[in-house]
Amino acid sequence: MRQTPLLPQGDAREAALFFVVGALCFLAALSALIAQGTYTAAAAWSAQIEGELSVIVQTPDRALAEDLADGIQQINGVIEVNLLSEEEVEALLQPSLGSGVLAGSLALPLLIAVQADVLVGDPSPDITALMSAMSIEGEVNAHSGYTAYVREALRLLRFVAMAAVTLLAATAIAVIAFATKAALLARRDIVDVLHLSGADDAYIARLFEKRFWVLAVQAGIGGAVAALAASAAIVFFFAETDGIAAQLLPQPDLNRWNIAILLATPIVAGIVARSAARVTVISSLKEMM
Amino acid sequence: MSRFKAGPGDDIAVSLDGVCLNYDKTGEVLTDIDLDLEKGSFNFLTGPSGAGKSSLLKLLYLAHAPSRGNIRLFGRHTQRMKRRDLAHLRRRIGVVFQEFRLLDHLTAFENVALPLRVEGQKASMYRDEVIDLLRWVGLSERVDMRPPSLSGGEQQRVAIARALIKKPDLLIADEPTGNVDFEMGRKIVRLFVELNKRFGTTVLIATHDLELIREFNAPMLRLSHGLLAQDRDLRENQ
Repeated sequence: MRQTPLLPQGDAREAALFFVVGALCFLAALSALIAQGTYTAAAAWSAQIEGELSVIVQTPDRALAEDLADGIQQINGVIEVNLLSEEEVEALLQPSLGSGVLAGSLALPLLIAVQADVLVGDPSPDITALMSAMSIEGEVNAHSGYTAYVREALRLLRFVAMAAVTLLAATAIAVIAFATKAALLARRDIVDVLHLSGADDAYIARLFEKRFWVLAVQAGIGGAVAALAASAAIVFFFAETDGIAAQLLPQPDLNRWNIAILLATPIVAGIVARSAARVTVISSLKEMM
Repeated sequence: MSRFKAGPGDDIAVSLDGVCLNYDKTGEVLTDIDLDLEKGSFNFLTGPSGAGKSSLLKLLYLAHAPSRGNIRLFGRHTQRMKRRDLAHLRRRIGVVFQEFRLLDHLTAFENVALPLRVEGQKASMYRDEVIDLLRWVGLSERVDMRPPSLSGGEQQRVAIARALIKKPDLLIADEPTGNVDFEMGRKIVRLFVELNKRFGTTVLIATHDLELIREFNAPMLRLSHGLLAQDRDLRENQ
């Protein structure tokens, strides 16, 4: 025999609450996706640049530079060494100096591109020592330094996104607590009868917990689906920009972490709502009877 | 004031010692109430409107704590008990109100079964018991109806069945005949008498109806301006 729920089915107030919680879940999920996107972006930048070094050799003696390149190849952790040709150096400088600079007899250094294993460590000190030993003037330029600013900006963005998630969660707690209190007052007649029938505070709290758990999970699913749609729209936008924006900004995509965020959103919303309802009911009942 | 004691024996169901109640600082609603209700006794509580009858009953069914004094129910000091234990103690008390206090979204069956449901019992376990009780109060044809579609007398009988379903040790009724006609009022009180005799339930009925009190000839407590008077003197003066 199916029993009628002790708390009557929802009214217009709960529909409004559903919308508010759904909107909060959407914003929280989107913020979490952005925060996660910064990790993806930072990892992509790091993977691409952190192991790269440029050795600038202040000598026109290409044979000496080739000897240096051979020496660098022997250093522990160095994966690949490439002494750039004149054409390759000109191609690098072309965006800044225009074409034909070498034809203009401008004295340009020789460049050695080094790819190192980041897990072994930075080979810069060994390369510098080798240059000193070979009496070669020049400098070692680790590209990882260029990524520091970008990583710092991504860290800040991640912090802002996580702060937004925290703020939205706190807002959800406040909204649920307010709604629970209102529901408790609106259903005071039922609460009193339950008390007189021998229900303890925990029993009554469970009724409200269950109600808000269901509401928040449903609203969370709605919010997560909306966040998924928004992410899909952003991914589509990035695809349309020929990858220019994708190189600069965090990229939302549908990796396993993002799917986990979207799946977790309704569950977290439900747990938050349930906990807020329980605490509110237990504390309010002490004032009621 | 001497202590009011109702009942023939020494086995006390309800004991109040110097109980006072004030809802705010404006004054006491109840003053120095000393009262013993023996187990299995049948009592009326009367007094003019505003005398504090409902307040006294609220103290007895643990909806309020006294401002001063001690209350013992079934030998337990209620002031020393935790909220959870008070809730469990409340399960030994049945309460009937003038305004019924039924849950409109539940059927008559579900309203009556509420105390059992709250205890965690399965519907299959108590179905026959609830049906039998509804038959006893004359509502076997109204089992699946909701309160708004029942008459006042029928609603009151559902409320009584709810109060009785657990065969309480103490039954408290606050103006139970106030919203029903004369005949139904007598029928309801006869149900209480039958319960009292059959199960030894201690009964306390608050009522304005002095005719009713005379008709059933039970001990009477009288409240006036928050003070409790002994009934023997009152009966002699009436």
